[in-house]
Amino acid sequence: MAEFSPLVSELIEALRCLPGVGPKSAQRMAFHILQRDREGGMRLARVLAEAVAKVGECRYCRILTEQALCTICSSGKRDRSTLCIVENPADVYALDQATDYSGLYFVLKGRLSPLDGIGPAELGLDCLEKRFCEGEIREIVLATNSTVEGEATAQFIAEMAYNNAIHVSRIAYGVPVGGELEYVDSGTLSHAFAGRREYR
Amino acid sequence: MMAERRSSLLEPAYVLHRRAYRESSAIAELFTAEHGRLGVVARGVRSSRSRWRALLQPFTPLSVSWQARGDLGTLTDVELQWRSTLPTGRRLVSGFYLNELLLRVLQREDPYPELFQCYAGAVLMLASRGAEQPLLRCFERDLLAAMGYGLLLSHDADGSPIEPQRWYRYEIDKGAVPVTAPRGRLVVQGATLSALASGVFPNAGVEVQARQLMRAALRPHVGERPLKSRELYAQYLGAKSQPQPRGDG
Repeated sequence: MAEFSPLVSELIEALRCLPGVGPKSAQRMAFHILQRDREGGMRLARVLAEAVAKVGECRYCRILTEQALCTICSSGKRDRSTLCIVENPADVYALDQATDYSGLYFVLKGRLSPLDGIGPAELGLDCLEKRFCEGEIREIVLATNSTVEGEATAQFIAEMAYNNAIHVSRIAYGVPVGGELEYVDSGTLSHAFAGRREYR
Repeated sequence: MMAERRSSLLEPAYVLHRRAYRESSAIAELFTAEHGRLGVVARGVRSSRSRWRALLQPFTPLSVSWQARGDLGTLTDVELQWRSTLPTGRRLVSGFYLNELLLRVLQREDPYPELFQCYAGAVLMLASRGAEQPLLRCFERDLLAAMGYGLLLSHDADGSPIEPQRWYRYEIDKGAVPVTAPRGRLVVQGATLSALASGVFPNAGVEVQARQLMRAALRPHVGERPLKSRELYAQYLGAKSQPQPRGDG
């Protein structure tokens, strides 16, 4: 098989750092940029360099942003007494698009997982506790994932909130919308049943 | 040399730990009834369509089918054994501690059928209301015994029966040596040794002594690297602003 020139193979190799990109897709991307869209490639290179250099995290919620405070935390229209706690930045966008929640967020960037060496310090829980103590927050919504580690995280944070007399709620487990009971796994179904609500 | 092909059909198992692997798969470390600790790849388990996604979680009693040729096996079927509840709060952290211990000390595919029963019992107790410290100590005791390093708890190093009021210095490779005064490291009361043997802990002092003794006995096997779940447990106590009994081990 013919070998690529050093620069082309370096580009292919570099593209493989992206999730879901194997050698074949990396090669397709590299060829596309070099053959059809050099301008797009230049733009990608420029923005990528700038973003990697400048984007940090919001001082309050740890969302990715190049400003000191993200647009959600600096917005005057948000309810500053409610805080929704999520594992990943992607969860913020998912929740914000899907719900009419208008409070603030806090991104843990992980979950308590002692076996992976992730404890409260790695999740910025000292920051969170400081905010609990400041007294502005009156309610938290725990939106960590529905895994054993997500549950452990939710319980740990709930304990911190109780100590500060903050109201705590946890997002519900349930049957997916449009889902048929027959095909829902038994764990979800038992949670959904145990967490059933009065219906009018 | 071709690695031998192994497989198992609907064998009782628990997930000790799982980590993401490739796009949508996971590598799970299992503790199985007949094959001990086992590493398996669960293909596609992280995709939204996976049937196993909710099942393949720690502390869930499972039946698993798998096959293996090399180091890592492949999971071929997962079923729920019975519907269980998850331990909550600190007790969940204790559950992580059991898992972390097992991952530290067990080699892959070294069978420990009796220890598996102890583990299943401990997980069940953690989820129910059973006292937490005694069940952890008993599990540690059973773990050491299963590895062939069981503590001698009924008799002292010279073969005389343990007397509850007497003080003993526990030497890990020798056993309990009677001493006159409670001074020095790993000096425990006879009652502590009897409590560890019987699983009935009459008071908090005995619990603290038992914890220090087990910690010292486990250290050669667990290694010097601190156990993360133990740290988290201590922080949990801190978060609840309860006095934290400290062991020196």
